Amino acid sequence: MSEQTHQNAALAADSSQSGAAGEHRAGPGSSLAGSGGTNGSPVPMGSSWLQYGLALMTFAGVSLLNLWLQQWIGYQAIALLYLLAVVLLALFVSRGPILLGTALTALGWNFLFAPPRYSFHIGSFYDKMMCAMYFVVALVVGQLTALLRAQRAAERQREARTREAEINSRLLAESERLGRTLLNSVSHELRTPIAAITSAASSLRASGALSAAQQNLTGEIESAAARLNRVVQSLLSAARLQSGQLRPKLDWCDISELVKVTLRGVEGLLAGHPVQKQIPAGIPLVRADFVLMEQALANLVINAATHTPPETPIQVEARVEEATLVLEVADRGPGLPPDQIDRAFDLFHRAPTARPGGTGLGLAIVKGFVEAQGGSVRAGNRPQGGAVFCICLPVAEPPELQEETL
Amino acid sequence: MNNSTAPGPLPVLAIDDEPQIQRLLTIALEANGYRVTAAGSGQEGLAQAAQHPHDLIILDLGLPDMTGLQVLKQLREWTQAPVIIVTVQEGAAEKIEALDCGADDYVTKPFNTGELLARMRAALRRYHKTRFDEPIFHFGDVTADLATRVVTVKGQPVKLTAKEYDLLRLFIQHSGKVLTHRQILREIWGATHEDQTQYLRVYMARLREKLEQDPAAPPLFLTEAGVGYRLAEG
Repeated sequence: MSEQTHQNAALAADSSQSGAAGEHRAGPGSSLAGSGGTNGSPVPMGSSWLQYGLALMTFAGVSLLNLWLQQWIGYQAIALLYLLAVVLLALFVSRGPILLGTALTALGWNFLFAPPRYSFHIGSFYDKMMCAMYFVVALVVGQLTALLRAQRAAERQREARTREAEINSRLLAESERLGRTLLNSVSHELRTPIAAITSAASSLRASGALSAAQQNLTGEIESAAARLNRVVQSLLSAARLQSGQLRPKLDWCDISELVKVTLRGVEGLLAGHPVQKQIPAGIPLVRADFVLMEQALANLVINAATHTPPETPIQVEARVEEATLVLEVADRGPGLPPDQIDRAFDLFHRAPTARPGGTGLGLAIVKGFVEAQGGSVRAGNRPQGGAVFCICLPVAEPPELQEETL
Repeated sequence: MNNSTAPGPLPVLAIDDEPQIQRLLTIALEANGYRVTAAGSGQEGLAQAAQHPHDLIILDLGLPDMTGLQVLKQLREWTQAPVIIVTVQEGAAEKIEALDCGADDYVTKPFNTGELLARMRAALRRYHKTRFDEPIFHFGDVTADLATRVVTVKGQPVKLTAKEYDLLRLFIQHSGKVLTHRQILREIWGATHEDQTQYLRVYMARLREKLEQDPAAPPLFLTEAGVGYRLAEG
């Protein structure tokens, strides 16, 4: 366990680091986005003003260098030096400043070096062509470099995003796994002693060596252990619901079978409440998780039995209303206080009028289990007195069933 | 049924990592005519099973070193001795997988000793029974004659369709054993239908309607929630 926690912490640190790095990367990109001359693509250097300044400085520097070099080289070679400067500039700035650099160097070469010097007039056709070619080549090379760089930056950003997503999903899986491990080990630690108590008490009772009083006492131990087991079961169900680890397995279910099995399971817990069941013949099969539905319905019936006077009847009824199957548990008790109806299914909520005992989990589990299967729950009071709780499940297209040919 | 009362205590292997549960199982089973060897891990259990013959194996699915399912699969490579799985309430998927891998039955924690002993007796009885010795079976009010294909309830003949009869016969052949939904569907409707639980629901309802005529009597066909069905024994 400690190893897992450690690993988890390391992962968290890793992700926070990458988060910070992500922010750094996002910084210059976002400050540049929308600034003039760029199309929002991220560039590796400061603000756009700085870049235009750099273009100007490059032009000034290379012009001075060329003015000094012109005593040894011809004006055509000087054009190549300007071109080199533009290409180098393109490695660092975005498209706008590159365009400025290209225009300045072309004009500068034209004015300062191309004959006739110190005029924008160009004499020979050859020089005119050269000037035009210079402009085009510088522009194309500059734009291509900028484009390439923008693509690389976008790729880096995409990689960073993928990495971040990967780390996030790893972290999520890790915490889910941890939650599951914890739930399983808590479940194991709570259940093992309960299993031991149940096993010991039942062995004792079956040994046949006990007096009547001792028999009764072991019976009490067994029923207390069973009750404890139900509480643990409820807590684990609630924990599983809260952590989103419930995976219902939907299958075709026969509601009349479900009701029968459920009522048989809670038989010993109804304290003399008679159960009347009303299920029309030919009620359609529904898609549901039988195990979850059994527990949900059992909780409703036990809830009715614990909150109503002894021996009052509990009614379990199923019916189809349009495209919904309604499974209803109604009692003849005092009913729900009107202001409590909306909160009846809340976790740990207990009506102020409820008698002591109970965890406040039962109805919340009903709601969680039913909603996990795509259904809904509702509570209310019957006009003739008593509370009523409903489980509603969608009735799907009836399944295909080839009848036998007799 | 005839040779299940062999002389001397029957050797049973209990694979469970909880020492307290091991002790309790040992006390309870030895008081009921078994001799218990306990193993605390999957590896130890496999070693014990290979060293000495055991008439029955109790296997907890939650083991520290390997999954109970792996132990079961390895056991089934060479022994057909009955295996009873011990598992938790939420383990429907686990139970199904274990049963499909050849486990004979399961008990859900916390179980009472009487329940475990009954499951063990039933599994041993099935294991030692050689095919069908008798074609006529009685359960509850029902009598089924597999030779003449006549089924009666309280002496009154009941008409079953071919599939209903096949289903009933499958349950009789595995009386007392849990059959998973998939096992039943594959056996009666074929492999292409093994996920179509609607057939099972509809036919089980029809079979119950025809054979469980007395609503006050204990049910003949037991629903094992999320897992399958079992024909009640006796």
